[in-house]
Amino acid sequence: MVVGSFAKGCQVAVVGAGPGGYLAAIRLAQLKKDVVLIEAEKRLGGICLNEGCIPSKALIHAADFLAEAREAHKMGISVEAKGVDMGRLVAWKDGVVQKLTGGVKFLAEKNGAEVLTGRARFTSDRTLEVQTDQGPQVVQFEQAVIATGSVPFPLPGFEVDGETVIGSKEALSLSDVPRRLVVIGGGYIGLELGSVYRKLGAEVEVVEFFPELLLQHDPEVREVLTRRLKSLGVGLRLGHKAMRLERGAPSKVVVQDREGKESVLEADKVLVSVGRVPSVQGLGLDAAGVKQDTKGFIQVNARMETSAPGIFAIGDVVGGPLLAHKAYREAKVAAEVIAGEPSAFDNVVIPAVIYTDPEIAWAGLSEQEAVQKGHRVVTGTFPFKASGRAMTLNATEGFVKTVADADTKRILGVHIVGADASEMISEAALAIEMGAFLDDLSQTIHPHPTLSEGLLESVEAALGAAIHVMNK
Amino acid sequence: MVFEFKFPDVGEGIHEGRIVEWLVQVGDSLKVDQPFVKVETDKAVVDLPSPRAGTVLELRFQKGDAIRVGDVIAVFGTDGDTAIPAPAPSVPATAAPAAEARALSAQAPSAPRPGRLLATPHTRALARKLGVDLASVPATGRNGRVTDEDVRGFAEVPPGSLPGPRVSVDGVEVAPEPAPARPLGSAGSDPYGPVERTPVSHLRKVIAQAMALSKRTAAHVTHVDEADVTDLVALHGRLKSLAEADGVKLSLTAFFVKALASMLKAHPLLNASFDEARGEIVLKRYVHMGVAVDTPEGLIVPVVRDADRKDLLTVAREIADLAARARERRLSLDELKGASFTLTNIGPVGGLLATPIIHQPELAIAAFFAVKDRPAVHQGQIAVRKMMNVALSFDHRIIDGAEGARAASVLVKRLENPEYMLLRG
Repeated sequence: MVVGSFAKGCQVAVVGAGPGGYLAAIRLAQLKKDVVLIEAEKRLGGICLNEGCIPSKALIHAADFLAEAREAHKMGISVEAKGVDMGRLVAWKDGVVQKLTGGVKFLAEKNGAEVLTGRARFTSDRTLEVQTDQGPQVVQFEQAVIATGSVPFPLPGFEVDGETVIGSKEALSLSDVPRRLVVIGGGYIGLELGSVYRKLGAEVEVVEFFPELLLQHDPEVREVLTRRLKSLGVGLRLGHKAMRLERGAPSKVVVQDREGKESVLEADKVLVSVGRVPSVQGLGLDAAGVKQDTKGFIQVNARMETSAPGIFAIGDVVGGPLLAHKAYREAKVAAEVIAGEPSAFDNVVIPAVIYTDPEIAWAGLSEQEAVQKGHRVVTGTFPFKASGRAMTLNATEGFVKTVADADTKRILGVHIVGADASEMISEAALAIEMGAFLDDLSQTIHPHPTLSEGLLESVEAALGAAIHVMNK
Repeated sequence: MVFEFKFPDVGEGIHEGRIVEWLVQVGDSLKVDQPFVKVETDKAVVDLPSPRAGTVLELRFQKGDAIRVGDVIAVFGTDGDTAIPAPAPSVPATAAPAAEARALSAQAPSAPRPGRLLATPHTRALARKLGVDLASVPATGRNGRVTDEDVRGFAEVPPGSLPGPRVSVDGVEVAPEPAPARPLGSAGSDPYGPVERTPVSHLRKVIAQAMALSKRTAAHVTHVDEADVTDLVALHGRLKSLAEADGVKLSLTAFFVKALASMLKAHPLLNASFDEARGEIVLKRYVHMGVAVDTPEGLIVPVVRDADRKDLLTVAREIADLAARARERRLSLDELKGASFTLTNIGPVGGLLATPIIHQPELAIAAFFAVKDRPAVHQGQIAVRKMMNVALSFDHRIIDGAEGARAASVLVKRLENPEYMLLRG
């Protein structure tokens, strides 16, 4: 049978099966909608599962494990940590990814969503054409959700070839640890992967255009991170621009500082991570009447509706912070609106995590942002070096900083640098989303001994009543 | 330069209002102090003047929209700005393509959304479900937190055509949200038959809150007496034509004001308020008389200031002027504030008796009923006399029954012997 000869009809077509897309499809199916989930790649899960969040965390864990093993002698443990077999590490990581993507497919289909593999293109505001292995397939829909995500920004002169120049995707599947790795772009992806390969034994240089890493962050946060990167031996070329690449053995990356002075970095591999742009190429947005902003992101309202009636968009493709958990929430909103529920994206905070060493996590405003917004600000900081639990974990780097309105005592933001910051930030996100005040947290019992007591202590410090550090 | 005009705190206790009419359009130029919008507040319709000269760039609300103190309602360009400013990028733009790309993903991910949203996610969802704009809901929770109860209470008395939730994503302009609108005056039915739902006006909402507050707060007692006003009516008849020569319509209400002012001199506890928080009685050394005026939109109570020190003609002239302007909603806020005692003359409408509700934070209110010819004993004879019922509601927390009764009897004496007011004022 020729697949393309009959149009497939459905109530909702979801384009893209990353975190936003697959969640939207599952929720829509749960809400009794007839859903087709269309994915260009063979495996569901998008960047997050296949070449982003999950695989990078697997490698980060492995690299940390190796680093800790090398420190184990301090606790009287004799371990011989020779190094890493990249092939076996990548295989283990692939196993994790496979389990998860398989799980997503199972969940989508078990809930009743149909999965269609092929690249989709809008041919009108009610039809898609999908290039499947069996030929083109027309999908007619009543409503659609665009969840096509984002792709790496291509840096001219440093086009990814998979050999010398790699992107984050290739960096997660290298067969060997490169001797010299140059990372272009000191954003969170560059710093995470740069740290991984440093710990696995590579010489790493990070080239960052801005004079500071993670410029939007609290200076105290940046200071801890920079100190740790230096102690790991990661080279930082701040305020440098990558000019050109001279391929060879080794290749040479020519960088230029703010004064225009050029210097050369030798590299076996060059990792380019200079940001991401919306993935909309060949999607036929014009045919559907879906408008984009000047940067190419699809414009949506709080109900995730685009300019085309009945067509929604969620996740990276609509801009804002490019985070899987933002896409998750937007997916639920879109699915619920499609099902006729009065849903809207009205979240106060989108927490964020950078899996550097130590981890950085935050929710809400930084001190500077709060001041800019006109708040009179009070802050409280608790350093993990005063935490009993952190000492027992040999992880005293970092701190918890709470930012609150000095007049109302409402919590505006929390910034955590330290081990397991990623696991601790959710309490802060809940507090801010609930509109909590400092005393709401200070009067909540936190288990002892834990790292999460750090948040309690920082809140008490903001109230001028910390116990385990001296109050200002 | 761009100037954002925030709805100012126009008077004590005024937190919200409603746009009645824009007096300018986008693109118009404005002079300093030129009124540019009519706003209805709890008590009056006021014209707001522009504090600066410039061009109107943006009018953020529609006619009929609810606004709250602090809301930016209009944006003016003051240095020849004529274009609506684009929102500033969250990260400074730089020349290098790499940097630009970074900027895309480097937006601060967790910056709170603009607008006031001090409510839990559950409450916000409830508001959406009930079609309520959270920003319009008066908050009773700590530090301005909107509670479930606030939302439910607000949903029961929808104050007209409210705007849909003004949500924006990352400060980026987003398409307007289809309002979960509750249609105006919608018809429908309940299990017992057809019904019609009509949204209440802003004024009605305020009256509802004020009345319920008073009933909750004060320990109301209503003392009733009757007055033989035959002489007062005769005096009124004689003075009426004299007042007319001065262009003033002399009402009976003016006499009641003077009689009350005289009574309050003798019973100052009725011309007071109770500061419960501080445990103090606040005796007013002035007599500012609130006069209830029935208007098509509802009850409005303008104030005759220093009623004890003004002559009858002046009081009458002021009452007539205040009442006329109250019906046109042209009173200023100042003319509605600061009463120390209130009266309501229900006589022209009819009825025998009623128990008036005290106007907070006052401690007493007097109601005057219809003057009727009734048989009465006068100087030992049964005679046809002009009789009037008077009701005095007072707050028993402060004023005991005997004191209220004594005050009422002084009031009756003043009404029965209007000459006394010539003697002592």
